[in-house]
Amino acid sequence: MGVFQPEAETMNRRDLLDLQNERLGILINHAYANVRFYRNQFDAVGLNPDDIKTLEDLKKIPFTTREDLVNNYPYGMFAVPLRDVVRLQFPLSHYGNPIVIGYTREDLKIWRELVARIMFGVGITEHDIIQVAFNYGLFMGAFRFNQGAELIGAAVVPASVAPADVQIRIMRDFKSTVLVSTPSFALHIIETMKKQGIDPRDLSLKIGLFGAEPWPESARDLIEAGLGIKAFDIYGVTELIEPGVSGECTAISGLHIFEDHFFPEIIDPVTGQSLEEGQEGELVLTSLTTTAYPLIRYRTHDRTALCTAPCDCGRTLVRMNRIFHRTDQMISIRGINVFPETIADVLRNFEGIGPAYSLEIKQKYGMNDKLNVFIETSPELLCTAGNVAAFHEKVRTALRKALGLRVELEMVQKEHESKQMRSTRTRINS
Amino acid sequence: MLKIRNIDAGYGKIQILHRTSLHIREGEIVSLIGANGAGKTTLLNVISGLHPLKGGSVMFQNREIQAMPPDRIVGMGLIQVPETDKIFPPLTVLENLEMGAYLRRLDRRALQSEIEKIHALFPILRDRGDRAAGTLSGGERQMLALGRALMGKPRLLMLDEPSLGLAPVIVAEMFGIIQSLNAMGTTILLVEQNAREALQISNRAYVMETGRIVLTGAGVELMSNEEVKRAFLGNDYKEKWER
Repeated sequence: MGVFQPEAETMNRRDLLDLQNERLGILINHAYANVRFYRNQFDAVGLNPDDIKTLEDLKKIPFTTREDLVNNYPYGMFAVPLRDVVRLQFPLSHYGNPIVIGYTREDLKIWRELVARIMFGVGITEHDIIQVAFNYGLFMGAFRFNQGAELIGAAVVPASVAPADVQIRIMRDFKSTVLVSTPSFALHIIETMKKQGIDPRDLSLKIGLFGAEPWPESARDLIEAGLGIKAFDIYGVTELIEPGVSGECTAISGLHIFEDHFFPEIIDPVTGQSLEEGQEGELVLTSLTTTAYPLIRYRTHDRTALCTAPCDCGRTLVRMNRIFHRTDQMISIRGINVFPETIADVLRNFEGIGPAYSLEIKQKYGMNDKLNVFIETSPELLCTAGNVAAFHEKVRTALRKALGLRVELEMVQKEHESKQMRSTRTRINS
Repeated sequence: MLKIRNIDAGYGKIQILHRTSLHIREGEIVSLIGANGAGKTTLLNVISGLHPLKGGSVMFQNREIQAMPPDRIVGMGLIQVPETDKIFPPLTVLENLEMGAYLRRLDRRALQSEIEKIHALFPILRDRGDRAAGTLSGGERQMLALGRALMGKPRLLMLDEPSLGLAPVIVAEMFGIIQSLNAMGTTILLVEQNAREALQISNRAYVMETGRIVLTGAGVELMSNEEVKRAFLGNDYKEKWER
C-alpha cells in the first residue's frame, strides 16, 4: 500500500521530533504575537513565549477549550487578518454557541494533502472512483474528499444525500470502487441492497472510508461483509480539520495521527495531568502548522490511547486507538454531533417545560441511530389537551432546527418520568 | 544536513535571537527572509562559529559544531559569504581565489584546476585576474566573493545578501548562478531582503521578525502568503487592499 508523502510519513522519529519542535517554536511566536487569547493564557500563568523551547515545555501552557472558542467568537481566535482567510466554516452542531473557523490558502493545501494521505494509505489510487455519500451541507469536511481525491488523481462522485437506492444505482452504473460515508449510512445501503436483492458482487466496491461517528468492530464486520470491501476508520476534529487528523492504514492497528501537523497528548480528563504512552485518556491536540486558526493544547474530549511502536504499513507516525467514548456529554447520532446543552437552551425558550429533561438513544448495529427527548412538563400544560399537540410540534421543530437532527419528543409529568426511563439504554439526565 | 535547535544569541545584554530553530536538507535551497535587524546575519555568524551562542545547538552533518572554531567549520564544508568585506581589496582577483582554498592545502596543479572551474563559471574573473580586487565593480566583487567561497569546496554555502547593491540585470544573473551551483550539488542557505527573487528559487523559506522565526513554508507558497506580501513584496500590498 502506498505512502503519499513518504518524506513526512516515514520520517524517523528523532527527525520528526526536531521538526515538531521547530514548528512549535514558530507556532508559539505566531499565536502569541497575533492572538490576544493566547497572550492572556500565557500571562495568566506567568509564562513567556521564550519559555517554550520544546514539546515538553508545551505542558506549561493552559488548555484551550470549546468554551474558549465560543467566548472568542467570531474572530478572536484568528491569528491572521481576515483578508488572508480564504474559507470560513461554522460547524452546525455548535448552533446555539456558534464558532467560526478560518483557513488560509496554505491551511487548505495542508488539509487537502492530509486527506490524500489517508486515501492513498488505504490503497486508493488514480484508478479509483470514489463515491462520497456524506451530507455536503451538514458536514463541510465532505468537500475535502473531493480535493484529496483530485490530488491523487482519482475520480469523485459527490453523491451526497442521494437516497440509498440512488446511491446503489450510482455504484453499479459508475462502477464506484470506494464508498465514503458515515458507517450508519453504509449499513442503511446494505439493508436497501438486501431488500432489492442486490448482491455486493454485482458492485465494484473495494474500499470504504467511514467516520464522523463511533462505530464498533461488529459494525465493521457487517459493512465489510455486506459490501464486500475493506472498511477503514477516519478521524478529524471539527475545530481543527475534519477529516484529516488521522486515519487507519491497511494494517488496521489504530489511526495514524499526522504528527508533522498535529501534536497529540493524552491527559487525564479530570486532573489534566499528562498520561504515559498506552494509557487511555482524553486526546489533546496542538496544531503545529495552522496559520489562520491555531489551536494550542485543544481538548478534543475524545477518549483514546497512543502507540509509537512501528507499524506494518511503514509509517512512523504515532497511532491512536479507535474512538468509542467521549469525556464530555456530546453524542453523535448518525454522524451529527449533539451537545445536550443545546437542548437545555431550546427548552429555556418555552413556558411550562423543563428545565429537567432526559435523553434516550436508540442504537442500531451498535451505533447511535435515534434520539428521543423526554421533557418535564407542567401538569397545567398537559391538561390543556387541545393545545398540547401544537405545542409539542413547536418544541420538536425548535429542537430539530437547533440540533440539525429530527428527534422524537415526549412530554412527561414529573411523576411519570421514572417509568418512561426504565427501558433506557444510554441516557443522560439533567 | 544542518539542524539548528533553539538558538539564543545576542550582543551583551541585548538578545537578538530567540530560540531560533531551522533545518536544511541536503540539496535544498532554503532562504531566510526578514527586515533589517531581524537577526538574519547574526544567525549566519552563529552557524559559522563567528558569534557565540547563549543557548541551543547547531548540528552539521550530524555533528555538533557550536563549540568548534570557524576554520574547522569551514573545513567541514560549511562556508559563508558575508554581506560586507567579502574580498581582500589589495590582493589580485587570482590571489583572492587562491585564498579561498587556503584551508584545503592543495598542490599547485590541483589549485590550478579548481581555479579553472571557477573561471568557467565566472569568465569575468579570468579577464580581471591580475587586477587588484579593490578596483572591481560591485557585481564583479560579488562574483569574486562567491568564486572564492566555492574554492573552499562548500557542501553548504551560506550567502548573506548576495544581491545587495547590484544592478537588476546582475541580480538576475546572480540568482541564476546560485541555482546552477545548487544544481551542481551545493546546498544553499540564502539570506535576502530581495524576497521575491529569493523565494522564487528556494525550496523552502523561513521568515524572521525581531529575532524570531514567525513563518515557514515552500518558497513559491510564501510568495503568495499575504503576510509576506505585506512585509516584503511591497508591490502586491496595494493590490490586495484594493481588491
